[in-house]
Amino acid sequence: MNSPSLKKGKEIILPSHVLDLTLGPDDYLYAACLDGGIYETSLHGETKENAYQELARHENYASGVNWSASQNTLVSASYDGDLKWIDLKEKKAIRSIQAHRFWSWQSRISPDGTCIASTTGQYLCGGYKYEPAPETEPSVKVFEIASGKLLYSLSHTPPVQSVAFSHDGKLLAAGNLMGEVILWDLSQGGKEIARINTPDFTGWGIIKGHYYTGGVYALHFSPDDQSLYLAGMGTTRDPAAGNGKQLWQKYTWQEGVKKDSAASDGEIGEGLMETLAFHPGGEFFVMAGRLFKGQWNAALFDHQSGSKVHEQNVGFRISSSVFTPDGKSLILAGGVNQDNPAEEKKWGRIIIYDVLG
Amino acid sequence: MSWAGLFGAPAFAEIAKRQQKHCILLWLCGGPSQFETWDPKPGTSTGGPFKSIPTKIPGTHFSELMPKCASIADKLAIVRSMKTTAKEHTEGINLLQRGHQPRPPFTRPTLGSVLSQQLGQLDSKIPNFILLDPCPEGNEFKGFKAGNWAGWLGAQYSPVRVGGEFQIPNADRLDSITEDDHEAREALRRFFSKKYENERKSSAASSWNATFERVNGLMSCSHLFDLERIPQADRDRYGPGAFGQHALLARTLVEEGAPFVMVANGMPWDTHVFNHEIYQMVVPDLDNIIFQLTKDLEDRGLLEDTLVVAMGEFGRTPWINQARGRDHYPNAWSLAMAGGGIKGGAIVGATDRYGAEVIEDPFNEENLFATIFTALGIDPHREFHIPGMPTFHHVENQAKPISQILS
Repeated sequence: MNSPSLKKGKEIILPSHVLDLTLGPDDYLYAACLDGGIYETSLHGETKENAYQELARHENYASGVNWSASQNTLVSASYDGDLKWIDLKEKKAIRSIQAHRFWSWQSRISPDGTCIASTTGQYLCGGYKYEPAPETEPSVKVFEIASGKLLYSLSHTPPVQSVAFSHDGKLLAAGNLMGEVILWDLSQGGKEIARINTPDFTGWGIIKGHYYTGGVYALHFSPDDQSLYLAGMGTTRDPAAGNGKQLWQKYTWQEGVKKDSAASDGEIGEGLMETLAFHPGGEFFVMAGRLFKGQWNAALFDHQSGSKVHEQNVGFRISSSVFTPDGKSLILAGGVNQDNPAEEKKWGRIIIYDVLG
Repeated sequence: MSWAGLFGAPAFAEIAKRQQKHCILLWLCGGPSQFETWDPKPGTSTGGPFKSIPTKIPGTHFSELMPKCASIADKLAIVRSMKTTAKEHTEGINLLQRGHQPRPPFTRPTLGSVLSQQLGQLDSKIPNFILLDPCPEGNEFKGFKAGNWAGWLGAQYSPVRVGGEFQIPNADRLDSITEDDHEAREALRRFFSKKYENERKSSAASSWNATFERVNGLMSCSHLFDLERIPQADRDRYGPGAFGQHALLARTLVEEGAPFVMVANGMPWDTHVFNHEIYQMVVPDLDNIIFQLTKDLEDRGLLEDTLVVAMGEFGRTPWINQARGRDHYPNAWSLAMAGGGIKGGAIVGATDRYGAEVIEDPFNEENLFATIFTALGIDPHREFHIPGMPTFHHVENQAKPISQILS
């Protein structure tokens, strides 16, 4: 195929920053926002203010929203630690469970739609150099969508900020602040099968304060489930600058953990990358986040070569990305600056790009 | 005059009283967020992800990250209406360390330098101004640290800096030199130095001599700076982080008579990036430190004579930026005090619904410094008497202290 590129299309405005986005039935979009709201909007139709409807509300930042086609259910997650099951016909939450005592940092649904994984963990001082303290509750939990039943409680070092299922649903990976990614085999009862340790995504404040920042913010299995992509921000001496590299790395684990490839220095700028998504064709993926320095904050990379094939400066921070099943559209979601609250500005954004080539 | 009469005289009584006072400044450099500490705004678009919790003071809430301070709110005084002007670190650090806008070419001494002069004794073996700062870096704070702390008071009122990589090396007398020999050498050095200083009228020599005296003093008290000598149970209570360990060290130094100890840890509160991700860790750490310090001082009968101040150079913006951070915000911010001269449980000032503006009792750096001086028994409007200098005061413009928090 020709090198893919992106052409900007419709833009949707939401009340506050979008932390997560999913594509539901009939091209409806569902957004989890910083104001706690879970909103429904559409891929199609005219762009206009208030082109959304609130479905449910959490008591804290809504951090995740996941559509299960097989269960015909939407499940949201929040910094309030809760998961909510939302009935799309009734447009309201029908079940809520407390998954964690601290935030749900990220949640992902299994490919068959039968279960949902959610990660948590508070970064607390555990050492002289502010190493994270051990967990006080399981950092990763997997729940059955149909019943809400807890299926797995998995241990990690908090905070655990990212999670991903393999495409066959057998493997689960979760990454934390310290660049530690654990892979579990759910088909073997949640047995740990590999542990990736990389210092490349974690900053320790040499210049300013002494503490750790960053970590693995996004995880995605390759289409063949033979490798795992990690994304975030490269190390930085100044944790208050946010000037680490826009970084992804690809690992294999079958014959010992090995870094297979990584974003090339000449193709990346600086800023936290928060999201990864694969094109349905499996040939390329998008990584997106914040632009601190450079030319882009969303870029397409070739899966085989790792080369950047297209870059886009979206103009605001991106937290979530989704390709449509036909591969013709890429949906990016995030937000512009919040600014003075007295102005009551709506600062959440969804942009839909046509995927060309 | 009898000894009793001598100390009954107002001037001597005032000095004696002052010399029993101490101050610990927990310097939260970078500018701590008021939202995640003392002035939460839960449920608003600016409130962030942390809830608020009730405190021991009915109707007053702190961030949920501060449960221990909430339990001793009746011992703390909170000012929620600080309104200053400095928007950048260097400017802000100078403003909140010196209590006044710059007036070149004169360099106003920092709070620590003034208090070391007012509360300390020049011949004290333990330094009158101790800076515990285990983080050697700190961007703008690093620059400030390398600058002129004591201003027109002179180098003898500069801090002795210890902590982390800054240990006190070679402080032990060599085995090859006897105690008598050491004292004899020191007496000779002091004689010639003083003679030189007097004959040449050299301020440089004066500062050099003062520094030598301090080093000499440090030799006799270097063990006080050794964290390892502190019981492990105490060290565990203050938490494992460098800031907590050095706050504990500050307590022990005050117990030994140190008049002013400033505890910093670089510039960790400057969260332009990952505000909530960092504050979930640093605020609970601070919460525990203030709790342990306040309780320990109280248990040791020192709280009445020790003023504890926890503050930075400004607050942080109500709005979140593109990097998940909060930026500098001097318009409306908070600080906390406890101990000597302070009325526990006093919550002063208020901000609007979003924490964007002060709507009740705005105070600036001059009001703050007037409060600190008053709490420590020092006349805030007293003049500095320095030959050849314009008339300066501890606090200019007859600024009033924050009377609501003074006991």
